[in-house]
Amino acid sequence: MRRISWLRQLATQLALALIGFFVLLPVWGIARLAFDGSLKGRPTEFRLTPKLWSFDAFLKVLDQPYQSVHFTVLLKNSLLISLGAALIAILLGVSLAYAFARFRFPGRQTGLFALLLTAVLPPVAFMTPLYIILGLMQIRTSLLALVITYAAFAMPFCIWNMRAAFQAVPKEMEEAAFLDGAGDLTTFLRITLPLALPSIAVAGLIAFLMAYSEFTLGWLFVDKADNVTLAMSIYAIVQTQYSGGAQPWSYLGSLAIIMSIPVVIIFLIFQRTLLERMMFGDAS
Amino acid sequence: MNPRLNLLLRLLLVAAVTLLAWSLRARAASLLSIDYDEDDYLRAGQQFAHLIKTSDWRGFLDTNYRPEHPPLAKIAYAIALLPLPEQPLIADVPITAQPASSLPEDQLHAARTEAALFGTLTAFLLALVNPLGGFMLAIHSFTIKYTSQVMLDGLASLLSLGTVLAYIQYKRKPSNGWMVASAILLGLAADTKFLHGTVGFAILLDWLYTQRSALADPKQRIRLLGKVLTWGLLSIAVFFAANPYLWPNPIARLQETLDAVRYTTTNPNVDSAGYPVWQQLAWLSMSVPWDQNHAFLFLADTLIAFLAVVGFSRMSKKESVFGVWLLLELVVLLVWRTKWPQYILIVTAPLALSAGEGLLTLWQPVVDGWRARKSAKVYAKTDTRRALPWLVPGLIAFALLTLIPLLFQIGISLTDFNATSIRDGFHGGLWRAISGGLTGQLPAQPFEVGVRANQVNFIGWNAYAPVFRYITSGPNGWSILFFNAMWMVLSVLLQCGLGLGVALLLWQRGVRLSKFWQALFILPWAIPELIGAQMWLNIFMTDWGWLALAAQKYGPTSFFAVVDQAVNHGTSLWLIVFLIPALWYGFPFMMLAASTGLKTIPQDVLDAAAIDGATPWQTFRSVIWPLLQPLLVPALIVRGIFAFNQFYLFQTFYFQDATLATLSYNVFNPNSGFGPNGGQFAVSAVINIIAVIILMVFVSLFNRWSKAGEGVTYA
Repeated sequence: MRRISWLRQLATQLALALIGFFVLLPVWGIARLAFDGSLKGRPTEFRLTPKLWSFDAFLKVLDQPYQSVHFTVLLKNSLLISLGAALIAILLGVSLAYAFARFRFPGRQTGLFALLLTAVLPPVAFMTPLYIILGLMQIRTSLLALVITYAAFAMPFCIWNMRAAFQAVPKEMEEAAFLDGAGDLTTFLRITLPLALPSIAVAGLIAFLMAYSEFTLGWLFVDKADNVTLAMSIYAIVQTQYSGGAQPWSYLGSLAIIMSIPVVIIFLIFQRTLLERMMFGDAS
Repeated sequence: MNPRLNLLLRLLLVAAVTLLAWSLRARAASLLSIDYDEDDYLRAGQQFAHLIKTSDWRGFLDTNYRPEHPPLAKIAYAIALLPLPEQPLIADVPITAQPASSLPEDQLHAARTEAALFGTLTAFLLALVNPLGGFMLAIHSFTIKYTSQVMLDGLASLLSLGTVLAYIQYKRKPSNGWMVASAILLGLAADTKFLHGTVGFAILLDWLYTQRSALADPKQRIRLLGKVLTWGLLSIAVFFAANPYLWPNPIARLQETLDAVRYTTTNPNVDSAGYPVWQQLAWLSMSVPWDQNHAFLFLADTLIAFLAVVGFSRMSKKESVFGVWLLLELVVLLVWRTKWPQYILIVTAPLALSAGEGLLTLWQPVVDGWRARKSAKVYAKTDTRRALPWLVPGLIAFALLTLIPLLFQIGISLTDFNATSIRDGFHGGLWRAISGGLTGQLPAQPFEVGVRANQVNFIGWNAYAPVFRYITSGPNGWSILFFNAMWMVLSVLLQCGLGLGVALLLWQRGVRLSKFWQALFILPWAIPELIGAQMWLNIFMTDWGWLALAAQKYGPTSFFAVVDQAVNHGTSLWLIVFLIPALWYGFPFMMLAASTGLKTIPQDVLDAAAIDGATPWQTFRSVIWPLLQPLLVPALIVRGIFAFNQFYLFQTFYFQDATLATLSYNVFNPNSGFGPNGGQFAVSAVINIIAVIILMVFVSLFNRWSKAGEGVTYA
């Protein structure tokens, strides 16, 4: 195939620019709000650029985005919950993933089906029973309840992906270790786990992101301002806006931008691997 | 099997289906209350009956009450009224009027019986083609409704099915007799109800398509076109011959008819109903939502629609005209501006047939699976023993976190647990109800919507049927399950189209800045769904959004105002407000999947195609697409499942009746800030379990398709 002609190059660039416009339009819409220092409440006139450039909104949400709770508390809650959920999902799931990857046993097919099914359920499907179970245990409103809830719906996904990671490790390497007299556990710890570690980390990352950006179950469970997360506080701002609250809309814009930046960086770095994990496969 | 026995069995089945169809229609005819239009057609029947009784044959030339519909079915009703004593003529009211409050009892009964007879005959004819298809039509509730009331669709669907069957006979063994029969029946079908006459176009398409080799040959072409033309002219001649109202002045009378038809699509009732473009598909996906007096014993239309989707390709392979017929009528229903549910009867016959084939399609894997079960695999004992230490701790965690909550959810769904009984529930009431019910100590209480007891009661499976009915055939013709399915298909198709298109653009050799563009396009995928939804809400929000503000600034005739008016105040275009964000979120994923696939295509394959002189489209169709499929199809299913579960987008826009997930959340939420329905814990559990069952189907599909994921079949 020849290189494309300049005319086709131009047409391609135009089409790509158009799609780029589509991609950036809503982002610009929210950024325009975030940097506008003139907003008292909702925007009242159509503008393409902020009326009064200012970083005030960023400073405000980096201080107290939700009621009188400090930003660092929200960030701490977000990180605690997301890291906790990811760690639980990975640590408690790892042995099951390995069993599915390496051994043949009765009920394996059914087990895999159950795993894949639970991995594609929406968070809402776990909401009803967990709300009630955690309520019965009287820990529903604590941060621990959120950790458990997010771990519950991240776990099937993590197990499925770790299974794929273990399967990708060549069986010959394990067998060689086995012949050298290493037991199952030693083989796993010395050979399989180190090789699969990068993929496991990515599965954990996805579990982290799930919890990081979840807000609806959060609002259902938590009732103390001290236990609110970043994602929840964004939704709180939205609700205040809907009910005609007096907050400038620039808060929403700046908080959304602050929250998105780390995630965007993670995605840009890991795009290929993330894609494979999210397709539930090990296409390579 | 003995062919005679086989035939006997088939005839018995046909007889059973016919009997079933008759009894269901007779039951509905006696139980249904008077509906829109029944007074009109009965009045028309009275007029014609009077003309016949008084032998006033000239009167036929000037009689056709409700000229938007041709007179044949009305004359047929007159015949049913003949043996009865004449009654005063039913009042002439505008077509926008409410249904009549009362009609002459004996005449209504006679006319409805006649309609039911036509409906039964249609099911009988279809059962001759395929007893299962006949069965589906026999129990289809919308078909029963409109063939047990004084409507035009009973006779019309009988005649249109007859047209197709005669054509099939002609197709199998070309004899002019069957061709003539098909043309006559087509003319009569059009004389009964115009919309049913569209079946002629389906036959035309199928005829030309199956004879396309003859079309290529100049000699045969003339012969073929001659035949088609004769058939068409004959049916038009029959149409005029059997429509005496047209005789005195065909042009003027046709004009009058067209004006009347136009009024049926533009009268104020059509606008005030506010049905979206896809409403007819929604009607097809649901059972009759207004089941007065339990007139229908089966409410299985949703299942029939699902089976019809499954069986479509099998039916079309067997006999292409049924497939063409089904698709063409669906297009007609989408395009036709008026969305009254009786119009779907133009498509229920092929739909039922397709559903019959769908049942057979599904049946085969079940049989295979059962056989495969018997030859269960033998597992090495050592392997199982080695697996145990790994399995046990993982299983305990998995069970505690995931399986037990899901099982407990089934338990909750068997109770009436809600926000009012939360005290009792948390103090042992829930356990008392579930265990008492499951051990048989407590009888199942009836389920009633909106009743909230202080104590938790065991209700067994009683909530499932009403909840399922609510999500499939909601009030005002809105079906959450249908919208959910349509949403899934539309959003995934759009995402796949744009994603694949961008991937192909970037894949061209020597595109400048391709790395930059790709990195930019990944952005929406990386932004959390909640924030992305927020960004689009900021644009589309009514009154306050960017678009609405632009409309205010640039005046009511500006581009922005036109768009704002269309998407925020129209009946169908509001869907775009959701599809655009969905496209924005989803296309990067498909782009990446397609790009990954494109990289695996070897250059020499493409060079070979170029040397052979393949056009870009041919290269795509026969080289690129087959190589992409293994990667794109799993990606499509993953995105499809994601779209089926779509929640944050709709929740951010406060659209509660969009998907099962949003409904479940808002039905559950005890501190629901919006809507009076929150706090119904048990009902939300029922919805979740229905969603899980549907997702099981998707996962089975995924397993079958996915090569990359290896799925359950990975050995």
